[in-house]
Amino acid sequence: MQTTSAGSRLHRIEREWWTVLGIIFVVGMISLVKGYLLEGMSSTNLTNTVPWGAWVAFYIYFIGMSAGSFLLSTLIFAFGMKQYEEIGRSALLSAIASMITAIAFIFLDIGRPDHVFNSLLNWNIMSTMAWEIHFYILYILLLVTELYYSMRPDLVKRSEEQGRFAKLSKFLTFGYTDVSEESLAWDKRLLKILGSVGIPLAIFGVHGGTGSIFAVDKARPFLNSGLFPIIFILSALVSGTALSIALYVIKNWVFHRPHDRTMVQSLGTLMGMFLAIELGLEWYEFLIGLYGLKSEELLTIKTMTASPFWWSFWVFQMGLAMVIPLILVFYKKTRQSVKWVLAAAIMTIVGVVGVRFNMIVPPFIVPVLKGLPPGNYYPTLSEWVTSLGLIAMGIIIYTLGEKILPIDQYEAKTQEAADGLGAFDAGQDFGHAGLEKGVE
Amino acid sequence: MRSSDAAQTAKKQPRWGMVIDLTKCVGCDTCTVSCKAENRTPPGVSYNVLLELEDGIFPNVKRVNIPRPCMQCDKAPCVQVCPVRASYKADNGIVVIDYDRCIGCRYCISACPYGARSYDDGASYEQEMLGYNDVQAPEYGKKRGPRRNGKIPEGVVRKCSFCFHRLERGEEPACVETCIGDARYFGDLNDPNSVVSKLAASSRAYRLKEDQGTEPRVIYLR
Repeated sequence: MQTTSAGSRLHRIEREWWTVLGIIFVVGMISLVKGYLLEGMSSTNLTNTVPWGAWVAFYIYFIGMSAGSFLLSTLIFAFGMKQYEEIGRSALLSAIASMITAIAFIFLDIGRPDHVFNSLLNWNIMSTMAWEIHFYILYILLLVTELYYSMRPDLVKRSEEQGRFAKLSKFLTFGYTDVSEESLAWDKRLLKILGSVGIPLAIFGVHGGTGSIFAVDKARPFLNSGLFPIIFILSALVSGTALSIALYVIKNWVFHRPHDRTMVQSLGTLMGMFLAIELGLEWYEFLIGLYGLKSEELLTIKTMTASPFWWSFWVFQMGLAMVIPLILVFYKKTRQSVKWVLAAAIMTIVGVVGVRFNMIVPPFIVPVLKGLPPGNYYPTLSEWVTSLGLIAMGIIIYTLGEKILPIDQYEAKTQEAADGLGAFDAGQDFGHAGLEKGVE
Repeated sequence: MRSSDAAQTAKKQPRWGMVIDLTKCVGCDTCTVSCKAENRTPPGVSYNVLLELEDGIFPNVKRVNIPRPCMQCDKAPCVQVCPVRASYKADNGIVVIDYDRCIGCRYCISACPYGARSYDDGASYEQEMLGYNDVQAPEYGKKRGPRRNGKIPEGVVRKCSFCFHRLERGEEPACVETCIGDARYFGDLNDPNSVVSKLAASSRAYRLKEDQGTEPRVIYLR
């Protein structure tokens, strides 16, 4: 039971949260209308030398976040790893919110939004980007279906209660209110199938595919490597895991709930493992690139590491998104503390932004032909503000989801503990247990 | 002769090609200017540019001027990557952009190994040049009327088309016609007796970035 003071504290936090998000979102939208709609691409610092910038960087950032979160959720829904049960639905929801944000970013980046349906009508099967557009649609449908089936028992339960969201929940059950053993078993089977189909879709279709959009670009030797899509997938896993850790810990802080420390620790270790593999692959990418002595490749690496853009590589990519979190999750004292794991997660979330910018900007700064002008790109104020607005939009979508859908599984978990169910089959039966509670 | 050329020869259709003699080029940028005038390209869009390179170390230096139109590659990376097939290879060998289909994603700009493509961000010379917006070049043979805000070709990607519209009425591309040193030759690479075919067979002939496997239709004579 929450006391009144705790209740008013929550209200205050919620109000502040919505105010801040609302302001950022509104300002972002104003900048979007003023810059993107009224001035077009001249509101950006994009040129013919650097045709892609902040919006594309954020697009791959959120695609990665989404693919990573989804892959983490498949540990639960496809592989049945019950120890992560509590973050399953929130990982799916954050995957959906990230995906919507990513698509909003890339939609902004195209020059003729009125022609956008051509990508479905005139599919060039040779184009990696065309394939991606189709994969994204499939992937979003899969995410929504999976989230729906994972919530279904709770939606049915809610629709039978008199709570605030009873009507919405009733609508969302679409009349399918069967929660018998068989139908729940069927749901579980379906979740497993969707998760299993989703794994190759997320790895090869959505994220590896997004990586290959860039990797097939033979005009840019730095991008044009077979390792590139794999590094994309790894950094997706890193950022997805980091996002799930951060969401879980911050949510618990807000609601004054105890953390499942073993889970946070094991998620931290998982993140560390992904980071270590990514660092290894990154090493080969640079080693082989340098060894080839191709002038564009050398210049790109020089632009990344020793130009006025050095901080993006050394501070964000190497520092925040790699070395520091790696140390934090491997050093015994810090990896056992929830706070430090959270710090590592947040650093990674921030650092990966730099990783994405480093994929987009330096390879394009170097001109493709000797004699063409070298590029220079730094986002304009309008690009930054619009980007922040869209990020706020993503967070709003996530918060709304948490608020009106049965995403949070803390109660269900404690209920099971009270019912004396074992930790192992708790997850299997929680829908059932929850229902009993509702019937009472 | 390439197999695609052979197929076209059978149909007796020309497949256009350009030869640029670098020893005759003085680097005056007439091609660049006449191209801008002919195609009425807006600020930030130049189909033809001149790369001015310095070779060697002082005192043994020489200046090389390389005019760079679109290479109209036979294996064009831009055609490969375009998600909507807005860029495609026309029967006459020219890589064409369908402005009415292009979504403006700029993937082709990033994929072009020659930097030949530009994005039209809607800028205009109206402030410096009276009546700039009143008429547009009939690129690819399509009349688009005055240049207006938000109307095609704003927001799409543009590039050199070997002056497709001039070829259709039997004229040479503007840059070829205006070159002060006659450094540019234009003709049918399908016809083994054409001037361009003979020059292309010269030992001086080379193409930019052959290692990319793009098979450009612009051949340089060094």
